[in-house]
Order: sequence, then C-alpha cells, then structure tokens
Amino acid sequence: MKGIIFVKLNQFVDELWGEEFWDALLQEATLPSEGIYTSVATYDDEELFTLVGLIMLKQGLSAQQAQFAFGQWMFKELLLAAPPEAHKFTDVFEFLYGVQAVIHVEVKKLNPEAILPEFEFIQETDNSLTFHYISPRHMCYFCEGIIQGLAAHTGQTVSVEQPECVHEGGERCVMKVTKVG
Amino acid sequence: MAKSREELETRIAVLERKVEREKKARVMSEQHLEHHSRAVYEANQSLQASLAMAKKKQAELEFLRQTSGDVSSDISLQELISNTVELTGQFFSVECGLFIVTKDGEALDSQEDNIWRAPNQWVTDTEFFEQAVKFLPLHQQECLSMWLVSAIDDESSQAMSGFKWIVFVNFALLGDKIAWLAFFSRAEFIDEEALSVLGTAREHLLSGINRRVTDVNIRKRTVELQDTVNRLEQAKRQLIQSEKMASLGQLAAGVAHEINNPVGFIRSNLEMLEEYLQDYQTLHESMLRHIETAGQLDAQHYKELCDNIDLAYIQQDAKDLLGSNLEGLERVKEIVENLRTFSHSGDGKLERINLGVCIEGALKIAWNALKYEHIVENQIPNDLPEVLGNIGQLQQVFVNLFVNAAYAMDAGGTLTLKAHVTPDALLVEVRDTGCGMDRKTLDQLFTPFFTTKPVGVGTGLGLSVSYAILESHNVLTQVSSTVGKGTLFSLSFPLLDG
Ligand code: HEM
Ligand SMILES: Nc1ncnc2c1ncn2[C@@H]1O[C@H](COP(=O)(O)OP(=O)(O)OP(=O)(O)O)[C@@H](O)[C@H]1O
Ligand SMILES: [Mg+2]
Repeated sequence: MKGIIFVKLNQFVDELWGEEFWDALLQEATLPSEGIYTSVATYDDEELFTLVGLIMLKQGLSAQQAQFAFGQWMFKELLLAAPPEAHKFTDVFEFLYGVQAVIHVEVKKLNPEAILPEFEFIQETDNSLTFHYISPRHMCYFCEGIIQGLAAHTGQTVSVEQPECVHEGGERCVMKVTKVG
Repeated sequence: MAKSREELETRIAVLERKVEREKKARVMSEQHLEHHSRAVYEANQSLQASLAMAKKKQAELEFLRQTSGDVSSDISLQELISNTVELTGQFFSVECGLFIVTKDGEALDSQEDNIWRAPNQWVTDTEFFEQAVKFLPLHQQECLSMWLVSAIDDESSQAMSGFKWIVFVNFALLGDKIAWLAFFSRAEFIDEEALSVLGTAREHLLSGINRRVTDVNIRKRTVELQDTVNRLEQAKRQLIQSEKMASLGQLAAGVAHEINNPVGFIRSNLEMLEEYLQDYQTLHESMLRHIETAGQLDAQHYKELCDNIDLAYIQQDAKDLLGSNLEGLERVKEIVENLRTFSHSGDGKLERINLGVCIEGALKIAWNALKYEHIVENQIPNDLPEVLGNIGQLQQVFVNLFVNAAYAMDAGGTLTLKAHVTPDALLVEVRDTGCGMDRKTLDQLFTPFFTTKPVGVGTGLGLSVSYAILESHNVLTQVSSTVGKGTLFSLSFPLLDG
C-alpha cells in the first residue's frame, strides 16, 4: 500500500483521537516500518490492517465502521492528490466511471507498485449504478466510505449497498450506488 | 486546568517519539528523493543515448533507403553515382568527396565538377584533385571488395591540409573502366559503424551499376538481334527471288518446249502457206498464158486449171493453217504472260485475287511437267470468293506444289485440285497419288535445302520458300502423306471480312 494511505490514516487518527492515540497504536503494533511513513514509499498491506484492527479494538468499532469512516474522510484528501481530470466530474456516477477509466490509471502510471481496485460496471439506471469491486484487499467498506465522501464533494445524496459481499459470505463484492431524492 | 507532571511527561515522550519519526521520515524522504533523482537522471541519460542511437539508426536507414531507391530507379549510371556521392558525403558527414573514372590507371574525361563539397555542391578544384588522387591506388586493376581507409599525413600539400582520412572504394564499369568514389574527412576518428553502413550501400550501388551495365549490354544485344532479323528478312526476300529464278530455270526447258511447239507448227504451217501461195502464182500464170494465146478463158477451162492445183483443198487448208497459227500465237502469248506474272512478284503487295485464276495460271506454267503422264483433275469452282494475296507469289507456291507432285508421280498418277469455303477459311487442297513421304521427310519438308532429289536436280528451297510466302499470307498449311499412296497439301486462306 502506498505511503499516502498511511500518512492520511495518521492524519485521520490525529484529528479524531489525538496524537497520543496514534502514538499508542504504534507502540502497541511494533510494525516493521516503526510507523515512519512517507507518502512516496510503499508499505506492507498488513501494517494497514494491523493499525485498523487496533483502532477497532481500542475504539470499539466494527471493521465496517472503521474503514467506512476512514474512506469517507479520505476522499477529499485523495482529490488533492488527484490528476487534473478528476476535477471536471460533477456527478457521482460520472466520477466513478472516471476513477476506473482515468484516475486510477493515472495513479498507476505514477506509482507502478500501487495495487488499485478494478471496477466492473454491471448496470446503470437513471438513479442507480451497480458495479463489481475487484481487489485482493477486499476493502469494500473503505470503498463505500470513499463513495460517500465523493457524494459530499458533488453535493449529491447517495445510498451505497452491497447486494453481494465477500465479508457476508458472497463470491464477490457488488456495490450499488443509488441517488436519493 | 494544569496538567499533572506525569501527564506532561507522557505528552513529552509522545512528542519526542513523533519528532523522532518525523526526522526519520524526512531522512527517508530525502533518500528516496535522491534515489529517485538519480534514477531520473540515469533514465534521462539512457533515454538521450537511445534517442541519439535511434537518430543515428534513422539516418542510416534513410541513407540506405535513398541509396537503394536510387539503385532501383531509372536514373542513368552517371546520375546514380553522383547521387551516391552526395548521399554518402552527407551521411558520413565529411567535407569533401570525389568521383573519377579511370582506364589503365589514368583518369578519364574532363575533371570538371567532379569534387563534391558539403553541404552539397559540385566544384572544380584542380589542385585538390591532383593531390587527392595521389591517395588512390589508381594503377591497381583489381576492384576493391570494401571501403578502404587511409590516413592523410600532415606533410601533404596545402590543398589537403586539415584532412585526416580518406575513405574510398571502386567499381568496374563497361569497357575496362573503373569508377572511384573517395571521401575526405577532418574528423579525428572514423565512425566504424557508419563504415559498415557504407558497406551495405556499396553493395546496393554495385547491383545498381551491374543492372545498368547489363541493361546497356542487353540494349546492345537487342540492336544486334534486330540487325540480324533485318538481315535475315532481307536474305529471305532474296531467297524467295532466287528460288523463283531457280524454278524459272528449271521451268525454262519445259517452257521452251512449250513455246517451241506452237512456233514449230506455225513455221511449218507458214511453209505450207508459202507453197499454197506458189500454187496461186502458178494458177495465175497459166490463166495469163491461156488468155494471151486463146484471147479468152471459158469456165470449163478455168475449172480445169483450178483442179490442176487442187484449189478447193488449198483454200480449205490455208484457212485451217491460219486458224491454227493464230491459236499457236495465242498459246505463246499466254505462256509469256504467265511467266511475267510469275517473275514480277517482288513487291509482295496483297490485293483481292481469285485463287481459281491464280491456280489456272500456275497449271499452265507447270503444264510441261504434267501433261504427258498425269491426269489433272481441276475441280476448283469458278465462283470462289476472293482472298487477299499476291498472285505472282501464290503462283510460285502452286507451281512448286504441282512440280513436286509431278516428280512424286514419276510413273503417272492423278493431281486433284479442290477448293471450298468453310466457316472460317477458304480451303484449297492439292492432292497427288505419288510416292508419299515418311515421317523423317515430313519433319524436314519445309527446311531450306532439304531435298531428296539427286544433286543438281532440286535446290530443296521450293517448299521452304513456299512456306514463307504462305505465312506472309496468313495461310495455315497442313500436310498429310502416306508412303506409296500419295500426299495432300491443305492450304487455309483467311476469308475477307464481311
Ligand atoms: C479522487 C481521486 C482518487 C485518487 C487520486 C485515488 C488514488 C488511490 C490510491 C493512490 C490508492 C492506493 C493504492 C495502493 O497503494 O495500492 C487508492 C486505493 C483505493 N481507491 Fe482510489 N483514488 C481516487 C478515487 C477513488 C474513488 C472515488 C474510489 C471509490 C469508488 C476509490 C476507491 C479506492 C479503493 C477501494 C482503494 C483501496 C485499495 C483496494 O481496494 O485495493 N478511489 N486510490
Ligand atoms: N508431293 C510430294 N510428294 C512426295 N514428296 C514430296 C512432295 N513434295 C515435296 N516432297 C519432298 O520434299 C522435298 C523438298 O521439297 P522442295 O520443294 O522443298 O524441294 P525440291 O522439290 O526437292 O527442290 P526444288 O523445289 O528446288 O526443285 C522433296 O525433295 C521431296 O522429297
Ligand atoms: Mg520442289
């Protein structure tokens, strides 16, 4: 996982629970990186899962709640790092297509070692978009959170459900985004 | 609300760790940045190198493309070579190039504009030229198999000063001539790779030169061939004429006989008529004498006198003799006329002719060979359509066929002539019941000088000449023959349009 995710997680934790909490997480986790994160480096995915696992434990949150919150907060930060193309989208659905077609592609170009999720679009109606989220990391809750953060950015209201989810015994994760109101 | 000391200490410890992490992160980032910059620099370096390499390769390719393009184009040898000098000079980035042609080690023709100077211009520079050729082994007759490089020493003349290298090659041209290409470089080092590209270009050029040299040879050979064809054509015309003369000679005896015959009987008829005239004279004199003595001549006596000389017979016979003489003269006139058409056939112009008439004439000429032992069945209808032909030449053909047939039927036989119109031709058949021919003879039938006749009798030209004539009439000739049975010549004349 790219260092930016860790740097942002650090920032997220600092904002929410304070520097002491982050320090405590690192003290307890004893990570190979010793918690020295820079956005340009790449770190083992396990470190992220360890940190998130500790947050859940200490704050009494479910995996869903923790990843969702981080994702939701994360979107505006990702947007800052996004290629210029990302700013021309004004609609959640358009943006989601754009992530698959342009944004993640550009990210991959700049960071060849990044592993980015694939979106396989299944169905679109006037107010709903259904796609298959494909990633070895299975961070579908994080994804849900990002989508909510995205909706806040475009000023739309959406609901995100997962008709299928690997964490619910499904074969795959399917995200259904519905515009509300 | 003041924090407890313990709390403060904890806070300080947290912050210290944080600062420590930040410091390390910073060092890491810087290292990363450094590493990254180095990677970028190296990537850039290698990019530039490959760009330069790509440009060089492109230049090489472009050079080879242009030179090989020239080679396969239609420009002349001279142009090809001067283009090559220009392209090579530019590709090789030299200041100066040179092109000369030598024979026996000496430079040929004018030495004007034979020096190429960058960027691209041909100039005359006698001094440079004289100095430059000293570096070429012009006396050597063998052609080089690759570009040679030799160093130019410093002590050489003013004209050559500054030049470090000469790179040269030569090619064989037609007529023991040798073309030399030389390039003069001021560079410290010669680019090995460029030399190998020049090697490839040399091979292209060589094949281009060879092709042009071959072209020149082929053109020369074509001219020679055309010449031969023309001479053959002329020889053929002469052959036709001389064969005709030969057949004329052969025919002359027959023709003489043919003419002699009527001349003979005309002569004896005239002698007879002279005698009859004498008889009239006698009659006249007896009548005069009788009138002088008796003073008159009665009918009784006149009849007696007439009977004495058999006047009634004389009158009848003289009439017959005159008729026969006229006939004889007509015959002579006819023969002479036919001989004239036969011999006046030189121009070979084709006109609408009637083959029946033509064959009739040929029969008359060949008559002497046929009339005694042979039956001639001329079944050619009178109403044949006209064809395009030269009557004299075709008569020559038929005379030859008839004479050949007569010769083949030395113990007598029948010569049958037929003609009929098929959908696409006028078919004339000449059939004899002679000795026929075996395969071997048939195969050589139309070969000039092929004859089975004894030496001095046949020329063996008859059918070869006839064949040439028939070909020029677009006549299809077919022969079928059975030994001991006879021979059939079928001639298909093309029909006139419409
Ligand atoms: C706004 C522009 C965006 C940028 C610049 C961006 C960039 C990135 C980067 C750098 C990563 C880390 C990949 C790695 O380190 O292997 C990532 C992961 C991810 N992104 Fe985005 N992203 C953007 C928008 C989105 C949006 C709108 C979605 C949601 C639909 C999304 C879904 C994800 C998910 C779920 C991951 C986690 C990795 C995984 O699932 O395998 N991203 N993105
Ligand atoms: N009608 C024929 N029957 C049998 N043999 C023939 C006949 N016509 C031609 N030949 C053979 O073909 C040979 C060549 O004929 P061609 O007319 O060319 O020459 P030639 O008759 O021998 O000589 P020339 O015509 O000069 O007197 C003859 O010698 C003869 O052997
Ligand atoms: Mg003959």
